Amino acid sequence: MREIITLARKDLLLLLRDKAGFFFTFFFPLMMAVFFGTIFSGGGDGSRRMSILVVDEDSTEASVKFTEKLGGSEALKVERSGREDAAEMVRLGKRVAYVAVRKGFGEASANMFMGGTPTVELGVDPSRSAEAGMLEGILMQYGGERMQELFSNPALMRQSLSGALDSLTAPGTADFPEKQKITRFLGELKLFASDTGVRSADSGGFPGLTPLRVEKAAVIREETGPRNAYEVSFPQGIVWGMIGCAAAFGISLVMERTRGTLVRLRIAPLSRSQILAGKALACFVVTVLISVALLLVAWLLFGVIPGSVGKLAAAVLSISVAFVGIMMLLSVLGKTERSAGGIGWAALLVMSMIGGGMVPLFIMPGWMQTVSDFSPVKWSIIALEGALWRNFSLVEMMLPCGILLGVGILAFSLGVRAFRWTE
Amino acid sequence: MIRYTNLVRSFGATRALNGLNLEVRTGEIFGLLGPNGAGKSTLINLTAGLLSPDEGEVSIGGNPAGPGGGSRSMLGVAPQALALYDELTAEENLRFFGGLYHLAGRDLSGRVDWTLDFAGLADRRKDRVKTFSGGMKRRLNLAVALIHDPETILLDEPTVGVDPQSRNAIFDSIEKLHRGGRTIVYTTHYMEEAERLCDRVGIIDHGKLLALGTVEDLVGEYGGRSAVVVQTGGRETRIPTDDPVAEMIRLKQERRVRGLRLESPTLESVFLNLTGRHLRD
Repeated sequence: MREIITLARKDLLLLLRDKAGFFFTFFFPLMMAVFFGTIFSGGGDGSRRMSILVVDEDSTEASVKFTEKLGGSEALKVERSGREDAAEMVRLGKRVAYVAVRKGFGEASANMFMGGTPTVELGVDPSRSAEAGMLEGILMQYGGERMQELFSNPALMRQSLSGALDSLTAPGTADFPEKQKITRFLGELKLFASDTGVRSADSGGFPGLTPLRVEKAAVIREETGPRNAYEVSFPQGIVWGMIGCAAAFGISLVMERTRGTLVRLRIAPLSRSQILAGKALACFVVTVLISVALLLVAWLLFGVIPGSVGKLAAAVLSISVAFVGIMMLLSVLGKTERSAGGIGWAALLVMSMIGGGMVPLFIMPGWMQTVSDFSPVKWSIIALEGALWRNFSLVEMMLPCGILLGVGILAFSLGVRAFRWTE
Repeated sequence: MIRYTNLVRSFGATRALNGLNLEVRTGEIFGLLGPNGAGKSTLINLTAGLLSPDEGEVSIGGNPAGPGGGSRSMLGVAPQALALYDELTAEENLRFFGGLYHLAGRDLSGRVDWTLDFAGLADRRKDRVKTFSGGMKRRLNLAVALIHDPETILLDEPTVGVDPQSRNAIFDSIEKLHRGGRTIVYTTHYMEEAERLCDRVGIIDHGKLLALGTVEDLVGEYGGRSAVVVQTGGRETRIPTDDPVAEMIRLKQERRVRGLRLESPTLESVFLNLTGRHLRD
């Protein structure tokens, strides 16, 4: 064992001395994890929210309330502006859209059953039509909420009904065929609202007039999604670190042969298995260090807290075993450093592409998701996510971990068998 | 003592060694001379245990060569290719290889100091190998072979590509080892190296040992006759003779000569006479 440790220590020292190799092994995966995590989370500063401008031309209590609601939306980043400026900003592409609350909005809101409809004007950048649909949905939602509030609040409803009845029965109001029926209906409705009293919907006032009540069920598995994008990007970063490590150590094994140092190792009182075990140990240590380093950064700086430390350790160890085996297999793919490096990186990139290391699996077509079962990258990401936020049970962890251990042992055995000891 | 008995080793259809028998005596510098493809490196690799013979055997100090034979710790090898880690310092290289021979602590530090002094690299011990000249790398390559203080040392073309100063330093080192009682097997293309260093020389070609003995014995037996080279006008005439002194006197008296030069037989002529080609062909 002492010889194996001596061999491994040498490889770790060589990795430390190789500045480019050290960077790509440790810092590149970290940069990728942070970069993609930041992109998918919007950087945590709300930059993913849609930037719009709001113009309040009505300046009534209802219009102010409506624009405040828009400002409170998690999907929108709202700034106030004048109409001309707002239209110009949208035309120049500096904002996605503007919403102008027109004059009469407050009056129309107060007379729900009579008169005009409360209206807003929406100006959208033509190149952002996808966002326009989303924005319309948000506006309709707040409009609907305003109606719901009216129907749920008896006092407001009575006030609105009184206004409507006054308008209908005012002297000089023109007759129309349904005037009597509408007057009778609104009168009955007002009477109903008066009988119900002042209770609001929340206290059981108008349960039948609430359009839809959504109750959240406490289904734990669905509740434990990733808390932030870093919980998705850091497993990918760790796998990229493993890929870099496997490539670097696979190539270093070829270098030992092409540069003659393997001859010295073989002349020393060591068995062949000790020589390869030394390389494997160094690779294993580095893969574990990469994982631990990235997970620590994820935890301390980005709030990625593992669901289970034990399961996370099992995932990391299984992935390390898999990539040590892959490293051994890569070392037999080429005779020279250049060919081994080229073939190795190509193989690893394909593994990563089909395994969800570059593009998330759910985006891929069905047949490719089936193909991805053959990539250890997929099982590595599943194992890490299972321990981090998918809340896998022990039995569920056994599938990805078992596959990874199997891949590692098989690849290592094949690599040892096919390894060329001489030039 | 290294003993090679009826050694046969083939690579595909090519027979690199063909029934070779040889004994290298304890404490001698043994020169192995032969052109490229003669079988020298195969013999070295068999001695180091990097290859196994198809037939016959190799023993070092009575132990079979190769893994499990117990001979590896007795053997130091300086391969022809520089087998060093460029990104490590001279000291780190020596410490690493020493560790593989179970050296540790003070023993290892002592051997590292000794080998660095021996190779004349003590003042560069903390420098990375990639900053060394070719000659310095050659000396370190030799130093690594000595880190575990082996009794037998195999030097495979140890002066290839080095400057004259480093070559002389390597010669001095080898002579020091010889005086210390080490057995050294030395392969080379250069006759002058074999003539300067080797107690005995074996000439090998096509996997067979063609001749074996001291340089004087080989030159006497296979070198052929001396020759007097006569310069007359713009021409040179080579006259082989058994008595060059008498021949030179005769020529001086008989002809109008502008110059006379004596050509004595060398290992090159031994090799030419035995194989029909020059050593560096």
